[in-house]
Amino acid sequence: MSAGLSDLARGASLCTAMALSIAGCATTPMPNEQIGVAKSSVQRAEQSGAPEFAPVEMATARQELASAEKAAADRKTRPATEWAEKANVDAQLAEATAREHRAHAAAVEFDASIAALRQESQRSSQPTQ
Amino acid sequence: MNAKFLTGVSLALVLGACVSMPRPNAALESARMAVHTAEADPNVNKYAALDLDVARKDLSNAEYAALHHQDAVIAQSAYLATQNARLAQARGAAKADDARVAAGQGERDQIMLAARSSEAANAQYAAANAKQAAVNSKQVADSALVQRDQANEETARVQAELDALKATPTSRGMVLTLGDVLFDTGRAELKPGATRKLDQLAQFLAEHPDRRVQIDGFTDSVGSDSYNEELSQRRANAVRTALLSRGVDASRIGTEGYGKSYPVADNADSGGRQLNRRVEVVIGGNDGTPITPRSGL
Repeated sequence: MSAGLSDLARGASLCTAMALSIAGCATTPMPNEQIGVAKSSVQRAEQSGAPEFAPVEMATARQELASAEKAAADRKTRPATEWAEKANVDAQLAEATAREHRAHAAAVEFDASIAALRQESQRSSQPTQ
Repeated sequence: MNAKFLTGVSLALVLGACVSMPRPNAALESARMAVHTAEADPNVNKYAALDLDVARKDLSNAEYAALHHQDAVIAQSAYLATQNARLAQARGAAKADDARVAAGQGERDQIMLAARSSEAANAQYAAANAKQAAVNSKQVADSALVQRDQANEETARVQAELDALKATPTSRGMVLTLGDVLFDTGRAELKPGATRKLDQLAQFLAEHPDRRVQIDGFTDSVGSDSYNEELSQRRANAVRTALLSRGVDASRIGTEGYGKSYPVADNADSGGRQLNRRVEVVIGGNDGTPITPRSGL
């Protein structure tokens, strides 16, 4: 009987702890800063050609940002944080992918211009008279 | 009884969290692969080491969570690790391309320089022909000079000297043109061929200490404006230095680089461009007044 009481006491204390932790969750501030960071990453990606060159990553980042904002509105701290983190990394990835695409295109174009120039220079090195 | 059950479950959860053998996890596995691939990418090590560090940290968070069976944390950290590893690769590749283009600029400049040199060689033919014509016309001028009135001897002598320099009259004064044949293409060091003309000019200035000179540099239209302006100024400076070394006082010499402005011929063909690559020396009047800048006309 005394053992049962002891269990009862332990159970009660656990319940209290859980209740406290839930209450704790309810009062934890929303990760507004992280959502803000993610939002600006998404905006930067939108303006960097990512919608054209990295549409999948871009769409993923947008959806994740929307999920983060919804979770924050529902006062769900942890999902809000996680979605914000994902949106941030995917927006950066979209931007970097678009930039890589542009850099690669520029390098290819540069190579072509060098080749053309070399050809032109060989042609013009023949005397015109 | 209810409480007893709850305690049991709680304990089991706590114990479960402490068991150390992680279960295989697909997300964690692909995160490891992604980080490993990024680590093997030389562009990442060279240009995106910080992004790789972030990916590694995410991966170690995921590994730690796997040891403690925190599935939600594994999923999140593994995802972040994977994406950050891809981010590192994308940024590394972009910077590698940028670096390649930057390194190639030098090569491109060299090819362009070589192209201009060969244009100059072609123009030598034209220059040789023009020289012959100039010799002929000078002979005519010389014979005319002999018949000049003795009363105009001084004027005639100055004129003769200017003629010897092949100076032509303009609204700013007598203008002596030093063509590109006096410079290597793209360079501002005077070639030996310029020596005689500069000797004559220096001698003229020594005999006429009241006259000032304005040295204007010009280029053709090949290359950027800033490059040409700088090149034209350097050519003007080279002529100035040559005059200084021949004893002309610095206070009598003005210089200006006009780049490709004021072409004297069409830049569309190499002969025209050859004529546009030049230095003009404007010889001021004998009253010593400053020479009007070209841009002020």
